[in-house]
Amino acid sequence: MQQSDQSIITLTWADPVNGDQQTYSGVLPVTIGRRQDNQIPLQSSQISREHARLSWGEDGRVLLEDRGSRNGILVDGTRVEQATLGDGDSFRIRPFDLTLKLGGISAPPALRHVLIATIRWTDPENPHVNTRRLEPPIQIGRHSSCTIHLSGKQISRQHALIEQRNGDLWVINQDSRNGIYVDNKQVKEQVLRVGSVLRLGNYNLHIEKIESQNVEDVTGKRGISYEDEQTVIAFNPLDDLSNTPHTIEEPWTHIAGMNYRQVPISELHKSGLPMTETTYLAVGGGLGSFSWVDMLRIGGVPASEIISIGNRSRPYGRYRQLCRNSQIPDWERLRSNSDSCPDNMWGWPGYAVREIWQDIVKGDIPSALRTAWQIFGEPTFSETYTPRSGTVFDSIDREAQRIKWGDIWRRGYVRAIRQTDDGRYVVLYSGQEPGTEKQMYLVLATYLHLAVGYPAIRFLPDLCDYRMESEDTSRVVNAYEKHDHVYDSLQKNGGTVLVRGRGIVASRIFQRIFEVRRENTKVSVLHLMRSPTPVGNTYGRTQRSVKNHWEYQPFNWPKAAWGGDLKELLEDSTDPVRNSLLNDWGGTTTADRTDWQDIVQAGLNEGWYQRAFGKVRDVNFDPSTGKISTNIQESTYIQKESKLEADFVIDATGLESSIDDHPLLRDLATQYNLKRNPKMRLAVSNAFEVEGMRNNHRGRFYASGVATLGGPYAAVDSFLGLQYAALASVDNLVSIGAPHLRSIDGVYSLLQWIRWARGAEL
Amino acid sequence: MTPTYYGFLQTRFLLFTVIGLPITFGFANLYRDYMTPFAILGYLLIFGFAWDAAYKFLVTLRWDHDWPPAYQLFAGIWEGFFFWILLQTFRQSGQQLPGISELLTFSQFLLHYSTVWIFIFIGTQGPLRILFPRWRFRGGKWL
Repeated sequence: MQQSDQSIITLTWADPVNGDQQTYSGVLPVTIGRRQDNQIPLQSSQISREHARLSWGEDGRVLLEDRGSRNGILVDGTRVEQATLGDGDSFRIRPFDLTLKLGGISAPPALRHVLIATIRWTDPENPHVNTRRLEPPIQIGRHSSCTIHLSGKQISRQHALIEQRNGDLWVINQDSRNGIYVDNKQVKEQVLRVGSVLRLGNYNLHIEKIESQNVEDVTGKRGISYEDEQTVIAFNPLDDLSNTPHTIEEPWTHIAGMNYRQVPISELHKSGLPMTETTYLAVGGGLGSFSWVDMLRIGGVPASEIISIGNRSRPYGRYRQLCRNSQIPDWERLRSNSDSCPDNMWGWPGYAVREIWQDIVKGDIPSALRTAWQIFGEPTFSETYTPRSGTVFDSIDREAQRIKWGDIWRRGYVRAIRQTDDGRYVVLYSGQEPGTEKQMYLVLATYLHLAVGYPAIRFLPDLCDYRMESEDTSRVVNAYEKHDHVYDSLQKNGGTVLVRGRGIVASRIFQRIFEVRRENTKVSVLHLMRSPTPVGNTYGRTQRSVKNHWEYQPFNWPKAAWGGDLKELLEDSTDPVRNSLLNDWGGTTTADRTDWQDIVQAGLNEGWYQRAFGKVRDVNFDPSTGKISTNIQESTYIQKESKLEADFVIDATGLESSIDDHPLLRDLATQYNLKRNPKMRLAVSNAFEVEGMRNNHRGRFYASGVATLGGPYAAVDSFLGLQYAALASVDNLVSIGAPHLRSIDGVYSLLQWIRWARGAEL
Repeated sequence: MTPTYYGFLQTRFLLFTVIGLPITFGFANLYRDYMTPFAILGYLLIFGFAWDAAYKFLVTLRWDHDWPPAYQLFAGIWEGFFFWILLQTFRQSGQQLPGISELLTFSQFLLHYSTVWIFIFIGTQGPLRILFPRWRFRGGKWL
């Protein structure tokens, strides 16, 4: 049947973990569910195998039906069995918010070559024959999220994976207890052909047919939407945080043989650029690099064997800038645990214990007792303890001094990283030695660690449109850029602020506005959210709590994701399962702080805080009122205002973590065709190694931080996560006999801790 | 703490041996009974392995899958309480728990048990991490 353009619909949703826009465009009917053979497969244990169905209803509207799902569909915060949707309407299938658009997307879709396998098997318990036509990746196992879900004791939770590699279908054993057999031969991985019989336990799966199809790559599975590029403002590489858009610079690939995949050492010499050789090199120079270098130094590596390149003299330079911009001055508390100490790899004594000690010394016993009670009862009986940002920065300064960070760090902006033909890595950076002109430098290293942080500030698409068209960067701001003028103006003149987002940053912005309101009561807040949140995410037997449409969690992941059963589970899972777990544990949450809840409650009671829900149609400046007006899509279900007027709009929805927005990471990923994880970030092993960069059995390449979000560890962008990544990669280096390095364990660890406690320089 | 089941077990075993035994030796000297305090420690260790399975289940009922210090305290009170009730049940039926002297008083037990518990608690709050820096990332496993 010929489809007209009219019959195409587009669904968009944001990845709950990294905010990447995802898109599906196609004809109706479509089904949404956890199983891979839905047109829109969404990974989460909260979603049923076939959760919902969209089909054409009357009058060109779209009928949304619940297919007997466990957690249901929410439209405007209410659970519905079915609903009729129009253009721009949205609905929630926890943890996803989906928006419907009638018609296709404007960009021409790319063609993707996929293999569709028809697989037949008989259930050994009841003689029912199953035949399914599936597109890889096909996860097979006992876990309920598997595409082919088999039962029986001989089947492991995630038993096998069928994936497409170029033109072939491969089956891969996923650490199953009983292994996999293809045509009666036990295999680790094997190409599948038509007629192959794949045996798992007492199931025989017959490959009946393999069809090759060219499909339009618009299903959003590749994760990047077409509008995406315009919605970010990259950090200016020179001053780090810029509030004006600028073009992303291309890496300098035309000098010193940087166009080679493996740069010949002779080319480097020929270039005439100043070159240093080292053993260990940390690219980034921020907290990720610092944690790695700290671990190396404690493990015995002398400072002379390590170089770190970054553009801030203090490892927390950019982090502090982001804190201050988002209204966390040095005396405010971070959302971080007491024993997440970038200055102390052991995490003891934590910041709480140090604070208790200082209070006792000062004679402030009540405060000491309060803190002690906090860490004793948190998070159930008391509010979770968090350290002051200034305390953390001071402690890092002390540790930096101890490990001679000053001798290790070099100011520079890294343009390119390449493998060399002798099994090492070369880094090209632009820098400036004191008293010289700015120029390019080369560093050669055997072991490299990459931690460059967030590449960009991300704006909501409608706010980005407004900024691009109006060039007004003063009324519409991002919470992460410098925007103190907003509070200054509010304090002086009063006014209305529209805040978008409901994460930790939004909470802090509200607190700041509340402080301004003490000086000037003519300040009010409009809080615009996409849709109501009546209930929180569920995982296993638990549910996250929700108050006033804010979802609460002490930190940005459940605690056990740092070092408990959840961390173990994620490490042992395959990519599709990791994706599902991260979607269930992540999402936008804020800390359960009573002062913040009191502010929201006071605002609601006194009428200066108002909430609105809806999809924004556009944002523009109204010269007659001198205000920014935000036009909201009318909803069929709830009567609400269609226009919100404010003096300032603050986008508190976050930072961009896509590696494609970072020139250095994007260049690396393309040049070496690096594998991506299910969240489209750099795939790393459990030891945080970027295995695609391993060079000739000599050089090793590690990465940490947000560039690895979506891999074996959830909390990669936290202090403790950076330390864990550092420990895992340094342990890996110890295991391959990297020079000067020994395992930090037992008595050696104790002796090192004593040195730390005495403040003894390394 | 965010322990896994094996983490609970390994941590308990380690702390009972490294911290529990020397303290118990001290109490054995104090009470002039070189059987009962060690037997108590042994019973608590073995019962503890079963309690740990229950605690692991409780952990999965919490969103954070964690085991806050306050829960460690409740668990400590419960384990001591359970042991004493068991001992009394035996005594009332005219028997003794093997290895436990009939002269053991509640205050003697309380003093010994709470001393051991407090030092074990302190051990989990810090010092263990210094000898085993991976302990906190591995759900309490040190092996």
